[in-house]
Amino acid sequence: MSEHKYQYTENPFAVTRREFITITGVITAFLALPAIWIKSVASSNNAYIQARTQGLYVDDVKSTIRVSHANIAVNRYYKEFGGEPLGHLSHKLLHTHYINRTKGLG
Amino acid sequence: MNAVAKTYQKGEIPGLIAIRASACKGCDACQRYCPTGAITGSFGATHGIDVDLCLSCGQCLISCPFDAVYETDDAVDQVIANLRDKSVSVVGIIAPAVRVAIGEEFGMKTGSLVTGKLYGSMKKAGFEILDNNFAADLTIMEEGSELISRARHAVFGEKSAHGEPIGPLPQLTSCCPAWVRYVETQCPALIPHLSSAKSPQQMAGTVAKTYGTKVWNKPASQIFTVGIMPCTAKKFEASRPEFTSAYEFNKKQNRETGPAYPDVDVVLTTRDLARLFKKMKIDLAKEADYSPDILFAEYSGAGTIFGNTGGVMEAAVRTAYAVLTGEELANVEFKPVRGLKGVKSASVTLKDAKYGKDVTINLAVVHDMARNIKPIVDDVLAGKSPYHFIEVMNCPAGCINGGGQPIDKSGSSWVEAIRPLFAWK
Repeated sequence: MSEHKYQYTENPFAVTRREFITITGVITAFLALPAIWIKSVASSNNAYIQARTQGLYVDDVKSTIRVSHANIAVNRYYKEFGGEPLGHLSHKLLHTHYINRTKGLG
Repeated sequence: MNAVAKTYQKGEIPGLIAIRASACKGCDACQRYCPTGAITGSFGATHGIDVDLCLSCGQCLISCPFDAVYETDDAVDQVIANLRDKSVSVVGIIAPAVRVAIGEEFGMKTGSLVTGKLYGSMKKAGFEILDNNFAADLTIMEEGSELISRARHAVFGEKSAHGEPIGPLPQLTSCCPAWVRYVETQCPALIPHLSSAKSPQQMAGTVAKTYGTKVWNKPASQIFTVGIMPCTAKKFEASRPEFTSAYEFNKKQNRETGPAYPDVDVVLTTRDLARLFKKMKIDLAKEADYSPDILFAEYSGAGTIFGNTGGVMEAAVRTAYAVLTGEELANVEFKPVRGLKGVKSASVTLKDAKYGKDVTINLAVVHDMARNIKPIVDDVLAGKSPYHFIEVMNCPAGCINGGGQPIDKSGSSWVEAIRPLFAWK
């Protein structure tokens, strides 16, 4: 029996080992890009919420009066018409009651 | 609509939010945002809404990737008709959150603060302006005084000045109509805890048709009040039959002989108002800034932050501090209640000048009810809640992300759904 000797020659490849690693790296980077894009979309999904929230805080800072009890209009309302907070007229006009809706209405 | 709605009073809008069967793909995105599990139908099948469970909050509407969810109530044409009738004063009650969102409908940058342009556009359309921030300040006066009265009753045994019963602690805010309906349909045992103060919208409507008759020199029957809200549930709220206080009051004063009218006649969402402007050929983005010279447009910074989660609490703290201690806060910004954490809590110790003693108030702020409300409610029901005052807003981040706001597709829950798949998020 003749002895079969395993013979293997590497396919002649047009790039060197260093070039191969570089190309693989670039391909991997391109493959990863969509994942990064999806991640950035996912994490910016409350950007519009943050922007609107900030808008109202800016409005607060811009206001010359920043506490409710110093609002001129509120004070005039109570003086000329409403009386005082929790007063008789306030209870009639500015307060309400609630309904148990578990008992079957309508 | 389902067979018979059992959780609505006569006159209320049942089934404000509905799903267009032809557009629904059965993707289940809406179900993730529903605070009460009112959306029925399995994955892949057309979904429906159980009107008795529905709070009308509209979170499903702004989260639907296929625009399959819609509102059954549309008052835009009715408002335009009233604007054209010169005998009627149409009063626009503008909520805080509208001014940081409506610009988006006219191509402006997300979150642009457009108060001046909004006032200008409203004047051009023929509205009288009542800034709801003014009513928010009024709410703080009433709700803050109520908190102080409940706290003094609990700590010092103080009685109420007019002999009405004083509610228990924790006091729960009552500005959010979806939250109020949640309490009424899911846990009515908490009703005594809800602040009896009306929401700013309802206060505004009542004030417009009572005190406002002097300001505009018009009888209440010729004042048409329009809530302009970031919210769909406000439409439901305005339709509640008990909200006719202005009519009752005017009748007692013998100033009313005609038919009854509601405090708030109709409600437009932010999207509705943008549609109205476009129908009337008004481009908000091109409008010049305008500041109306009217009492009802005066508002404080505390009133405007009502649209953010934690805003009602922060505004209440600013005023309660001054009322209790008799001194003004040096720095009014109260940071612990800001931000997007599901449940925020803080403790404030104040010296009650009337009794000369220190009082500690534990506060909590809850938003995004679908995810965060259950444990808070269970604690209060079991009587072991550590808090004295709890602010609740149904929508994630508060009214600025309400169901009536311009729809921002980046908030679509499909994106939200894939987030947990990224381990490094």
